[in-house]
Amino acid sequence: MIATDATLALVLGACGGTTTGGRGTGTGATYNAGVGQVYNPSTTKGGTLRFANAGDWDSLDPADTYYAYSWNFIRLYGRQLVMFAPEPGAAGAKLVPDLAETLGVPSNDSKTWTYKIRKGMRFEDGSTVTSKDVKYAVERSLDKQTFPNGPTYFNDFLDLRGYTSPYQDPTPDKLGLKAIETPDDSTIVFHLAKPFSGFDYFAQLPATIPVPRAKDTGTKYKQHVVSTGPYKFESNELGKKFTLVRNDQWNPATDPIRTALPDRIEVTIGANADDIDNRLISGNLDVDVAGTGVQPATQGRILSDPNLKKNADAAATTRLWYTSINPDVAPLDNIHCRKAVEYAADHTAYQRAYGGPAGGDIATNLLPPLIPGAKQVDLYNFGSKPGGDADSARQELQQCGQPSGFATNMSYRAERPKEKATAEAMQQALAKVGIRLTLKPFPQGDYFKLYAGKPDFAKNNKLGLMTTGWSADWPDGFGFLQQIVDSRVIRASGGNTNLSVKIPEVDHLIDQALLTTDTNAREQIWAQIDKRVMEEAVALPGVWAKTLLYRPPTLTNVFVTNGFGMYDYLTLGVQNVQK
Amino acid sequence: MTAYIIRRLIAAVLLLLVVSVATFAIFFLVPRLAGASAEDLASRYTGKTANAEQVRVMAEKLGFTDPLPVQYGRFAKGLVLGADYSTGPTTEHCPAPCFGYSFITQNPVWPDLLDRMPVTLSLAAGAGVLWLVGGVATGVLSAVRKGSVFDRAAMGVALAGVSLPIFFTGLLALSLFSYKLGWTEPGGSYTPLTESPLAWARALLLPWVTLALLYAAGYARLTRAGMLETMNEDYIRTARAKGLPERTVVLKHGLRAALTPIITIFGLDVGLLIGGAVLTESTFSLPGLGKYAIDAITNNDLPKVLGVTLVAAFFVVIANLVVDILYAVVDPRVRLS
Amino acid sequence: MTAPLDVSGLATEAHPEAALAGMGRVIQGRSLGQIAWLRLRRDRVAMAGAAVIILLTLVAIFAPFIVKVLGHPPNEFHQDLIDPTLQTPKGRFGGISGHFLFGLEPLNGRDLFSRVLSGAWISLLIATLATMLSMVIGTVAGVVAGYFGGWVDALVSRTMDVFLAFPLLVFSIALVGVVPDHAFGLSGNGLRIALLILIIGFFSWPYIGRIIRGQTLSLREREFVDAARGLGARGPYIIFRELLPNLMAPILVYSTLLIPTNILFEAALSFLGVGVGPPTPTWGGMLSEAVRWYTVAPNFVIFPGLAIFVTVLAFNLFGDGLRDALDPRGR
Repeated sequence: MIATDATLALVLGACGGTTTGGRGTGTGATYNAGVGQVYNPSTTKGGTLRFANAGDWDSLDPADTYYAYSWNFIRLYGRQLVMFAPEPGAAGAKLVPDLAETLGVPSNDSKTWTYKIRKGMRFEDGSTVTSKDVKYAVERSLDKQTFPNGPTYFNDFLDLRGYTSPYQDPTPDKLGLKAIETPDDSTIVFHLAKPFSGFDYFAQLPATIPVPRAKDTGTKYKQHVVSTGPYKFESNELGKKFTLVRNDQWNPATDPIRTALPDRIEVTIGANADDIDNRLISGNLDVDVAGTGVQPATQGRILSDPNLKKNADAAATTRLWYTSINPDVAPLDNIHCRKAVEYAADHTAYQRAYGGPAGGDIATNLLPPLIPGAKQVDLYNFGSKPGGDADSARQELQQCGQPSGFATNMSYRAERPKEKATAEAMQQALAKVGIRLTLKPFPQGDYFKLYAGKPDFAKNNKLGLMTTGWSADWPDGFGFLQQIVDSRVIRASGGNTNLSVKIPEVDHLIDQALLTTDTNAREQIWAQIDKRVMEEAVALPGVWAKTLLYRPPTLTNVFVTNGFGMYDYLTLGVQNVQK
Repeated sequence: MTAYIIRRLIAAVLLLLVVSVATFAIFFLVPRLAGASAEDLASRYTGKTANAEQVRVMAEKLGFTDPLPVQYGRFAKGLVLGADYSTGPTTEHCPAPCFGYSFITQNPVWPDLLDRMPVTLSLAAGAGVLWLVGGVATGVLSAVRKGSVFDRAAMGVALAGVSLPIFFTGLLALSLFSYKLGWTEPGGSYTPLTESPLAWARALLLPWVTLALLYAAGYARLTRAGMLETMNEDYIRTARAKGLPERTVVLKHGLRAALTPIITIFGLDVGLLIGGAVLTESTFSLPGLGKYAIDAITNNDLPKVLGVTLVAAFFVVIANLVVDILYAVVDPRVRLS
Repeated sequence: MTAPLDVSGLATEAHPEAALAGMGRVIQGRSLGQIAWLRLRRDRVAMAGAAVIILLTLVAIFAPFIVKVLGHPPNEFHQDLIDPTLQTPKGRFGGISGHFLFGLEPLNGRDLFSRVLSGAWISLLIATLATMLSMVIGTVAGVVAGYFGGWVDALVSRTMDVFLAFPLLVFSIALVGVVPDHAFGLSGNGLRIALLILIIGFFSWPYIGRIIRGQTLSLREREFVDAARGLGARGPYIIFRELLPNLMAPILVYSTLLIPTNILFEAALSFLGVGVGPPTPTWGGMLSEAVRWYTVAPNFVIFPGLAIFVTVLAFNLFGDGLRDALDPRGR
């Protein structure tokens, strides 16, 4: 039974997106009915959609948020230039124009990008949205002092010429940034400092959601973001809960994508994770907004109870759990010693640390399969010897000149039980070939800033192996790989997510990819980069994560989107409207 | 009397000052001594792809580049007078007591604390009533029937009770009563009293009982000892000799005398609990001050930790003060010392 | 003099005056130590506590050998015995069997029996050393405050007030958190253990300090101290030759009673995630992981929890008996 379902999941995952529409209503619920197809399709409007969040939302401000769930959710109250299509499976990883009439038009070797804004768009107060509001929104997102949480892609790629923030902008309209031009109210032109063929992915960042300058209150703007989407804030108690209601200024005629089924959206923040699971199962809650899946004990409960299991989906994500192998630390500066680690690792144990098959598939390379263009390569017999290949490992150790093994350290984030289990499993597995690991937990808040992500620290403290995880900012080679394999993003001051990859050839390939406008050709380059990193054995892939999501039977239009690796929040509705 | 109270009040304020300096030192001085730079500290609060310049700007914004006394002065000033914070386009006044803004979410800390307080107060109050009543009743019965089976059993249970960590009994109780039997709410449930008193009590029942069990044990032992001591006093013998019913002797004369030190300890325990129900709140995932503190520490969110520590110390100091003043009212000799 | 057979025995219960007055002096040819030993020996409950403590110490020392005979290495995985879907041990009662006396840990399938046994030494070591530290600080501070009085007393007493007003757990966690990985020439688990001993010991001294201060205050006024002073004895002589010997009994009793508190303190810190690092098993650390599993793997909660409980109870019983036997009027 379990095996059959797992196969089904795989098949659906593989051809995800080709089947749209799909199976019936609440009675037809089956395991993975929301993967690759729409579960419980409906056009019924009305009702209240209830979300809950176990953590604290980083920010509701479009300039200041960096969670996938937040980018998914923000589309309910804001419209960025382009966005991921609300479609099941792979179709959900495709970009479609939203605020803009079409996708971006490149010129000047992909250094200039132009968008035309749709006519008739209004803010919730009735004022017209112009390209200047978009420019202002991007400008303010550059201010990392006021909005530290958001991504820095615009800071890194726009031709800023020293521009820092509209709040320090001497021009009267605060639109002094030369890198963005607004020749008229419906045209916006971005000038980049270096070519970037995938600029549309930047244009889908929440930072392009227009912000009216008169209503901008800086750090307080998140209390009432001025809506351009179908919903606006009715009330907002920071860190506690907020409510969205219909925005009567939203014109469906300008918005071919959003269905806007529920009348109200209520979100509770800072709820308890176990409590969220229980409420989902009892039907007192519709969606766990974080989209990272149920708690481990709940997972066991759901998978062992057919009545619960039929309401669950194992969603593939763009998250990879892996271990960096640090070539700065002897003897791992020798490629054969690194390969010995690749061979000796126990991949089943790694997978088990993340919840077994339900927690994800054993990863053989970096790019998760659902990223367009990803090619699976298995250089170190992960598939044939999931428990580790001790013989090959010993051979590599011979070649490395360490026939009886060696000692090194392995770091992990102290607060993460799964990383701890990973480190302990690695310790067990590597000991079989004589590689002795000392485990080094570090506080997760400082893991990248001060410890594993700070090259000096990692080197001086001989952190040979470092557990980590990475999730694509968006499903594309750049969105996944650039921050973890480009050696030029490594900063001596710390805060790195690229912990171990310094390969000149890879850097060169990345530059090539940035220039390549043809999608297929570009995807091939990214796959090549992935393989090259594996050949150098500087990263040990662990698990391509899946999350077990629970969908209450009353939810309509439920499906997992590859754009975010969770349910798509734009289309959800509720069945029982008169509640 | 007034002079005594004023003296105690001044001492209380000084105590809070020392606590705040010490907390501040732990978070700002210790890392410095350990070699962390202002940028190292600030890098925790910048986005995940911030560059060195952005980190430097953040260090300046958060004031980490100033000397520590200046930083402390700013914090203390905010507490007493409020402070001005930049929101980007404008500045905003954060009224006293201003604990500042979270380094992570940039939400003000004080409303958060106010928000969490009812949970911890509910927990402490409910458990306090249970353990006081339960502990004292057991203690009195044990003392009256000294050496009986009940006495031995009760004292045995009491000693076992103080030996049980709450994160063990709590987990067991959750596993049995909430998960297996479904009698009580699972961990993490909390409904404000104002929303539904019934749901409030239902959600807190298990934490109350487990916590009370822990404390009741100590109180039973204390009460029993106190009772045994007072029951040997001459005035008890006199009361008995007068022919008063044993019930009256025990409850009116004996218990009253034995109760005074108990109430003192009760005040202090409740005060400490309000600031430190960390374990109970973690075990039952209750969104109170203790859980808030742990989460804040995990995230290095210093303004939150400072806020919680000070509020916790405040409650202990207040409890001390109330107990002292009550004592002074009851026993005039105290005022002289 | 009745033998305190019941397990209660608060200081106030028996006949404190006689014992205190006779401390260090000879009564009917028996030293206080002998009297105390006689009383203690008749206290079966306390003796049971002592027996358990001795047993636990032996277990802690010989855990590697016991584990070799009766269990599996504490860090060895047995994933073949774990259900891949549920992540919990196969078989009933969390996989308890002749091979796995306490069953298995969920997820990794490590032997709970071995881990509980191997966790003993950390608990005992940290609690004992921390207690000794508190004892030293507390005694010095208490004697100094009690003997010199005046502003010294005020300073020490206020310091103790500050300590007692701190939310200790929050504070300790914060402290462990801000100390870097390498400090004071130590690193890794050695540093962690040292740090835990330091923090627990440092935050617990006021409890002993208060009692010692009170005792010193009352001893200071006694005739034999007056007599020594009258004979021209100076501060240090009085403190070391007259006061300290008479303080040994309360110091011993309250140290014994502080050990269980410190065991709980260590367990609490481990539970909150700032204890000794993995894979070293600790009782509190095991319970902290058990939080995620309590619904499906109760034996993961029960065995480490029982270990803490039994240890703490044994120390409490013994400490109680000791107090009865020595009878210092300390509260």
